[in-house]
Amino acid sequence: MSLDIVVCIKQVPDPQHFSKITLDPVKQTIRREGIPAIMNPLDRHAVEEALRLREKYAGKVTAITMGPPQAAEILQDACAMGVNDVILLSDRVFAGADSLATVYPLAAAIQKIGKFDLVICGNESVDGATQQVGPQLAELLGIPHVTYVNKIENFADGSMTVKRVIEQGYLKIHLQLPALITVVKEINEYRLPTVMAIMEATCKEITVWSNNDIHADGEKIGLDGSPTNVFGVFEQKSTRKRNMLKGTPEEVAKQAVQWLRKLEAM
Amino acid sequence: MDFGLSREQEMLRNMVRDFAEKEIRPRTAEFAQPEGEFPFDICKKMADLGLIGLPFPKEYGGSGMGHVAYLIAIEELAKVYPGWGSHLRGFGLVPAVLEMHGTEEQKKTLLPRMIKGEILSCISGTEASGGSDVAGISTTAKREGDYYIINGRKCMITRSTITDVFLVSARTGENPRDISSILVDRNTPGFQAGRLENFISTSRTNFAGEVTLTNCKVPVSNLVGKEHRGLGAMLTGINEVGRTGGAAMLVGLAQAVLEIAVKYAKERHLYGKPLTNIQTLLFMLGDMERNVARARWLTYYAGWLLDQGKTYQEIPGEIAMCKLDASEAAINVCLKGIEILGGYGTTPEFGIISKFKSALDMIAAAGSNNISRLVMSNATVKKYS
Repeated sequence: MSLDIVVCIKQVPDPQHFSKITLDPVKQTIRREGIPAIMNPLDRHAVEEALRLREKYAGKVTAITMGPPQAAEILQDACAMGVNDVILLSDRVFAGADSLATVYPLAAAIQKIGKFDLVICGNESVDGATQQVGPQLAELLGIPHVTYVNKIENFADGSMTVKRVIEQGYLKIHLQLPALITVVKEINEYRLPTVMAIMEATCKEITVWSNNDIHADGEKIGLDGSPTNVFGVFEQKSTRKRNMLKGTPEEVAKQAVQWLRKLEAM
Repeated sequence: MDFGLSREQEMLRNMVRDFAEKEIRPRTAEFAQPEGEFPFDICKKMADLGLIGLPFPKEYGGSGMGHVAYLIAIEELAKVYPGWGSHLRGFGLVPAVLEMHGTEEQKKTLLPRMIKGEILSCISGTEASGGSDVAGISTTAKREGDYYIINGRKCMITRSTITDVFLVSARTGENPRDISSILVDRNTPGFQAGRLENFISTSRTNFAGEVTLTNCKVPVSNLVGKEHRGLGAMLTGINEVGRTGGAAMLVGLAQAVLEIAVKYAKERHLYGKPLTNIQTLLFMLGDMERNVARARWLTYYAGWLLDQGKTYQEIPGEIAMCKLDASEAAINVCLKGIEILGGYGTTPEFGIISKFKSALDMIAAAGSNNISRLVMSNATVKKYS
């Protein structure tokens, strides 16, 4: 058996620098200047799982991302980890897309790639955190999907069995291929690229597709194709207020409960 | 002029940072324990990732990414645990000598295995009379047919009890500078690793000690470079890897201390406002950044010159300057960090004091700071003569 796997990855601001992010009160946007961009952490686990499947069953792994030209950097990271091919979807008409307007170009690109057995995404991104791209993409591709996957149990006869994390345990789900899964970090420990792999990755050619290459419906992409819009952003400020309670332990406990109820915290 | 890192250098930095966070940070308490087995697994992982081979050519098992890349890797490791930055530097000392002065046979048989971490090596030059005074070396290597018979005692030899191959400096002639560099396998009869030194940062991960050589019989083919000219060979490693790598290690630990101090100063309130609002302490943070930045650029510059093909004989001042400056910068940054953290500055939990100890130990490493100052000053006079 040989598997053709597509991994969808995203460039995001490095969470370690989130404290440096500020808001532009006029433009109502997030200022990302000076914040290093990295591959979404869960997407690294998605790439790793694809590589492990390829090592076990043979086949090919293609990583794809949509973004500005600098998003090519995370494709180099994916190359250094060991993927076979990388595709950058980059076109000004894609700009400003919400999750639905993101999956149209992604779906069109995956269909252009041709045959695939499995699509793997990170469960969510650290910036948007909508968890929508994976399921929406599966619906557009017309394939079954499972989110919150923490283990792939096996592949056999054109189907696979995965474990999906739920609050009190997990579900074991059987699904037909081709399929899409979104993974959580517990699924694996991702590999670090070697020095030689890094050097080879920076020399590897990155395929860049614009909308002219994938022919996504112009009305469904970019800002105009996005059914959701961000009307404003605001900073949530939290302040600490000290309130000394006096009395016996029983009295203090009662007062504390009253305060918490008043604050609607209980 | 371009002060930016190349994309592959950036990717390398990210990879080493990830490695240090995943593999080293969770085990720093274990590494700092005074006794126990040396963590060989970390060496193997560093070698498997290709870190030891960064400055060495592909034909001998390296990647040829260069010296600046090597210094970046050392710096990133040292930010999390200075000892591992120091080890990465140490693993490259003998390979650097072999690459420049070794025979083709030595390069082919030893370099790939050293780069893979299969053979640990170190330079063994220092004796009780001192490391800087080469004329004071009393270890002898007498030629008997196709062999050298080596007798002597070396001290302060890094990783002495676990190293496989020692590059020993020994007197081979009557002239005071008739010093040769000879490879000695630890299994050679008459070779013994003895008492360990009690350095301020000694731990199961960082240690150095004495080795004695009693009628050690090694083949002449173990000679590295020309007979009687071994000092120059050894100085290749000490300068091009030892000093620049030491500087990178010091830059890394100083950066870590700076970050600890800034975080603390922003969170700690005094008189109702954060420490960063108190100019005296604010100026300290600015000065710490200035020290780290200056040391880092001097270090990268020395590495860049090596990447341009310069040898230590051509840039002795630049190499000495980066080590001296990084040493003074790191000590300065640690002391300021301790002042900013107040009482917490010297508690192990905040992580400054362990880095300060490593910075103190580096004063004498790869040529003391005074030797670096001497080399730098002589180079300065020569430059303007």
